[in-house]
Amino acid sequence: MPGRDAAEPDIVSRALARNRLGVPSVVFFGVAGAAPLTVILGSVTTIYAVIGSTAVPVSYLVAAGILSIFTVGFVAMSRHIVNSGAFYSYISHGLGRVIGVGAAFVALPAYALMQVGLFGLFGVVGSGILDSFGFTVSWFVCALVAWAIVAVLGVLWVDLSGRVLGVLLVAEISLVLFYDLIMTIHPAGGHVSFATLSPAKMIDPQAAALLVVAIAGFVGFEATVVLSEEARDPKRTIARATHWAVIIPGAVIGLSAWAMSVSTGPGNIVAAAKDKHTDLVFSLISTHVPQVFVSIGYVLFLTSVFAALLAFHAAVARYEFALGREGVLPGIWGRTHPRTGAPLMGSITQSVLAIGVLIVYYATKADPLVYLFGWLTIVGGLGVLILMWAASAAVIAFFIRNRGQENVWRGQIAPVIAFLLLSGVLAATIIGLGDLLQVSKDSPFQWLFPAAYAIFAVIGFGWALVMRGARPDVYAAIGRGADGHLTSIAAMPPAQRMQTAAAEAAALRSIRAPQSTLIH
Amino acid sequence: MAALLADEFFLIAHEDRTGRSRLHPRATGLGLAGALLGELMVSDRVRAYEGDLYVVSREPTGDPLSHDVLDLLIAQPQHRELRTWLAFLAQDATVKVGERLLRAGVLEPVTRRKLMGTQTLYMPMNSNQRNVAAWAPIRLAEILVRRRPMNLSDRVLVGLVVATGLTRHVLWDFQAHRDALVHLPTIVSSLPEDLRQLVEHTEALVGSVLAAGRR
Repeated sequence: MPGRDAAEPDIVSRALARNRLGVPSVVFFGVAGAAPLTVILGSVTTIYAVIGSTAVPVSYLVAAGILSIFTVGFVAMSRHIVNSGAFYSYISHGLGRVIGVGAAFVALPAYALMQVGLFGLFGVVGSGILDSFGFTVSWFVCALVAWAIVAVLGVLWVDLSGRVLGVLLVAEISLVLFYDLIMTIHPAGGHVSFATLSPAKMIDPQAAALLVVAIAGFVGFEATVVLSEEARDPKRTIARATHWAVIIPGAVIGLSAWAMSVSTGPGNIVAAAKDKHTDLVFSLISTHVPQVFVSIGYVLFLTSVFAALLAFHAAVARYEFALGREGVLPGIWGRTHPRTGAPLMGSITQSVLAIGVLIVYYATKADPLVYLFGWLTIVGGLGVLILMWAASAAVIAFFIRNRGQENVWRGQIAPVIAFLLLSGVLAATIIGLGDLLQVSKDSPFQWLFPAAYAIFAVIGFGWALVMRGARPDVYAAIGRGADGHLTSIAAMPPAQRMQTAAAEAAALRSIRAPQSTLIH
Repeated sequence: MAALLADEFFLIAHEDRTGRSRLHPRATGLGLAGALLGELMVSDRVRAYEGDLYVVSREPTGDPLSHDVLDLLIAQPQHRELRTWLAFLAQDATVKVGERLLRAGVLEPVTRRKLMGTQTLYMPMNSNQRNVAAWAPIRLAEILVRRRPMNLSDRVLVGLVVATGLTRHVLWDFQAHRDALVHLPTIVSSLPEDLRQLVEHTEALVGSVLAAGRR
């Protein structure tokens, strides 16, 4: 080989870089799951109405701040582990495989419930739009139609392409900013009030619990690290894109929630939201803009919820695929359709779960907006919060063991701050869950959901211990992704690696010997 | 002349009637990239050690495409990782191998209009060509079912078929092929260490490409 100094031009790097993702594409991928318009028109108005707190705008800004600090350590760690797929792989790297499997068992119901909850929102909005055309269709029928389309697209693995999502997202955000402008220049009583942005509101324990709902609005931003192998510069692209995927929705949602309160006046926002629900923003602007802008808004709202449904469906299916491939779930979940790469079992499981939940809600005649969308988003958000909290602890543990890999801010200070903040939010959420769900003091729902997550986690711990005993090779690959076998060797110190390789070679020889006659 | 590894993989990975890929296009590309590197390893031009590739002989291979790949490996010594080369070669492997099959008279180019632009597929057009294309998977299944002696190239082919997810296409009959299916893992693990690494890295890359779910 003629010297090892780099040959110019570097044909390989250039060719590979051409097909890789830049910062904008990765941001779109992350924000598409969060779907800002869905959060603004669906979640924000529902929170105003159901919880009756005026701290909503500031809670989104605070949540964005907390998640930004969390992102610093999270992205730093993603550079050092090969399979940076999902929270559970971080947790298994940082806190061990037993806790990692527990986290995976919390993650599955959390993401799955959030997706099912969105069907409630879609049903209500869809039936509202049809109603304005003079058709009376129940929310259940609309949700069923969406369910059928998502189920089919999920099996065919028709992901909305990056370009379509990008166009929708830009249109959504432009429209929202336009609405915000209209609401702000027509304030209630003639003056613009900043009362709902006061940080003092966050001191109230109920307001602290609001953060879980706010954090639920960002879910999906962590998906950016999945693309680290596809990014142009894995070190910088993903870090920047993840920060943007937190900051952009945070700013847009916070601003919009504030603009709503300006338009109605901070004192009237709760009553107005209770009256109009998801139509709140449209009714606030409809007197000031031509009707066409309201119609565009409704269409984009519906496409935004649908895109979020599809994104979450794919995320859950992919999660189950990853777990199946690693042997945590039965192997059939790790299979994909050969041509499309669709994780079939994951997709079908989620669709079956969704239709089951929808039927239960239809049969019990529970209000789809409050109990399906609102509750499941909050409960799912609680699960994701638990995951983030555990992941922030994993980041600390990881950098204690791998000192000097990152600077002090990224490796130590930011992760510790993020862990303390998330611990506070988690504690406030568990204490304040009854208030968030609006149940009475003696209702079992106050403690049922955290208890259920605890049980799931314990089942996960137990399952991990069973795996350690029964299938140690599979256990060793947990959290190491598709190439578990390779990375488990690559991650070892060189001396140990040689030993393993030697042992494997010896084992192979012993296996190969009797069969060699058969093969050659 | 014995059929080339990448050619055989190409014929198995594409439908003979439509020319479409049976796998996710990126998985097919990775399988073909693995096959191209496999050709160089089988002919002792390249070795893999702990996930890195090393050129051990610069002697021309006699085939323009595999010589081209060998030349690139020599020209870019700063890139050694097997994964990098698989990802790099996967980008245009379908076209490159398709062109080689065109030169061999096995396939012909067909240009299709798509929503945006056109796409060139390589597919069998006459009955002779169709027979050759359809024979590729059947030949492999025959060898596996009858446990015929396999040369190194065919064993690598089996490894890549398993790694990319074409197993059920080659061995499609649950009853008749059950024994052969059970036999597959031993074939893969009996490969020499560097070819086994090639198969494992191909499988891992196919997995992560599918997990990212990007077209």
